[in-house]
Amino acid sequence: MERTDNPSRAKILERIKAALSAPASPDVPQTYDPAFASVTDPIERFQRECSSNNTECVMTPSLAASADAISNVLSALPAGEIFVQDSLELRGMASAWTSHHIRWSSTVAEAGSTNKGPRETSQATITLAEALVALTGSVLVSAECGGRGAAFVAPVHIVVAKAGQLVPDLETAFARLKESGAAIRNSYLCLITGSSRTADIEKILVMGAHGPGRLVVTVALGTE
Amino acid sequence: MRKAAEEFLRDAATKSADLAHRQIIRQGIDKYNEAFERGRARFFNWEAARQRCSEIKWEAVNHLDRYLVEFEERVKARGGHVFWAENAEEARAYITDLARRRGIRTIVKSKSMVAEEIHLARALEKEGIKVYETDLGEFIVQLRNEPPYHIVTPAMHLTRADISALFKEKLGGIDTEDPPELVAAARRWLRQTFFAAEMGISGVNFLVADSGMIAITTNEGNADLGMSLPRIHVALAGIEKVIPRLEDLAILWPVLATAGTGQPITCYNSLIGGPRGLNETDGPDEFHVILLDNGRSELLADAEQREVLHCIRCGACLNACPVFRSVGGHTYGTTYQGPIGSVLTPHLRGLDEFQHLSYASSLCGACTDACPVKIDLHHHLLHNRRNAVNEAHRPWTERIGFTLWRWMTMSAGRFALGGSIGRATLRGVYALGLESTVLDPLRPWTKVRAAPHIPSKSFRALWRKGIGTN
Repeated sequence: MERTDNPSRAKILERIKAALSAPASPDVPQTYDPAFASVTDPIERFQRECSSNNTECVMTPSLAASADAISNVLSALPAGEIFVQDSLELRGMASAWTSHHIRWSSTVAEAGSTNKGPRETSQATITLAEALVALTGSVLVSAECGGRGAAFVAPVHIVVAKAGQLVPDLETAFARLKESGAAIRNSYLCLITGSSRTADIEKILVMGAHGPGRLVVTVALGTE
Repeated sequence: MRKAAEEFLRDAATKSADLAHRQIIRQGIDKYNEAFERGRARFFNWEAARQRCSEIKWEAVNHLDRYLVEFEERVKARGGHVFWAENAEEARAYITDLARRRGIRTIVKSKSMVAEEIHLARALEKEGIKVYETDLGEFIVQLRNEPPYHIVTPAMHLTRADISALFKEKLGGIDTEDPPELVAAARRWLRQTFFAAEMGISGVNFLVADSGMIAITTNEGNADLGMSLPRIHVALAGIEKVIPRLEDLAILWPVLATAGTGQPITCYNSLIGGPRGLNETDGPDEFHVILLDNGRSELLADAEQREVLHCIRCGACLNACPVFRSVGGHTYGTTYQGPIGSVLTPHLRGLDEFQHLSYASSLCGACTDACPVKIDLHHHLLHNRRNAVNEAHRPWTERIGFTLWRWMTMSAGRFALGGSIGRATLRGVYALGLESTVLDPLRPWTKVRAAPHIPSKSFRALWRKGIGTN
């Protein structure tokens, strides 16, 4: 970086230190009341939250069954390319997806193109997730899940998850991110709850603003 | 009277008499209230959630230097750049300079109140760079060449008919009042821009110190596209946005969403810690975070009002405020509207020019009750009033008036004399038919209302005659 000279840094820090020499009062009391009731049945809660936040949640007995369920979703989509995160699990499932051409995510740009993420014309993207959060019916993805654009560019985003990835709440999800090193390894994380929406016109809810209008999550039960 | 105050009074009078405007604002806020009540009911204990958020922000703001330095170190370790800007000019210069050196021609911007605060778009456009707002509400007000009307809902003041007419004129080929079709039109129009832009500029909801990541919240996904596709991402944050730990978001994200729109959690809560990593598919080559002071460290030095820096910009106090609902967002003439804007603006832009906003309040306290981080907003309006008096920002006539008033009320005899002179004067003025003219001492009241009945005797005289004994 050219601009290493940043004289204001010292000035601002100096001012902050001086400002904080007068303590703020009153100090706020500590509270230990829970803000949320604890989640007792994560699978039931996740399904309920998904149905209220417009996520299509499909519970399946195995990853093979998830692959078939995804195949059904794909066959109803217009012709075109599907962008899929390049991973062992998804390579194993992709034989079921015959209706569309598959483009695998890559960290190497194609010749003549700098865009390694999904093309604008992609009909859907299929990725894994870091975790699922029961409390809010959310999917946590990272840059490793096919990149940043994978969750945003196509009109449909399909997430392949296993029951063992379901955590009760956000605290647990963050703790896992820290434990697994995913929070350090990834330059990007996103907690996705439902599909893209806006209410900027007369507070009327419209789905599919800039991101996907459809979010499909398959959860293979009995897999860790 | 100061110019800003004159404009405020003039616009407030016009807007509060505009029934169509009142109707659209009432409709928007009614919908918000309904959603908010549903959202609040989802918490086991909303008050505990507010308390927790208030504690997190207290901890961060009262150790601001430590957490900012921690954040900076970690972002740098991840390959990002951190620039500290003392004022708006430095922040603008850094970004325009960067854009010039990188040959940037097109920028996609997601919502950033700090960008509004430093008038960034105008500075970039002067450089010949095209800046496209991508949040739908911001896109709409940009097409109208207007500032945002509300922190969270920038186009709250417009009907679908207004937006339809605007799109028809500015985007062309669109003729519909159907909201889904209007949204689709904006999406199509902005898509090409997202793929063509070389730089994405965003705001920041939280700077996460222990992880060296910024947190950005949107419902549309526009910010995420803006930091996935362009090759440079610039994020703008006020220095008060820092929080200590990643886990703090487990309560801050739901509370921000519920207070902002009534949602349990916003659709996209993203965390960005740097440019694209070595083994990552996409994302920018460069990641810059600008930490803006611009008056915040002075507010920090005011221990009494320091907690104003806890604000998470949810907009709940605007929605709760009877003054905001009547006069609307643009009347404030400030970047931050409503109660938080009235408290904050005098600190950012001068108490002398913006002291009048301390009176744009009925002191009902609805804002304080609504604030999800428990800022004592209406008392801070009182503190600003007091400070304006103490720092001699009030006219000398007022000072003399209050000195006389004080002298008069310090003795029962003088008070009685003053009262009888006052009554006699008013009776005389009204007998001459001068009610509501410039000669009427009660003109500020009587120019829009009937004069009150002026009794011939004082309360104390009546009391002595026995009105209190029946």
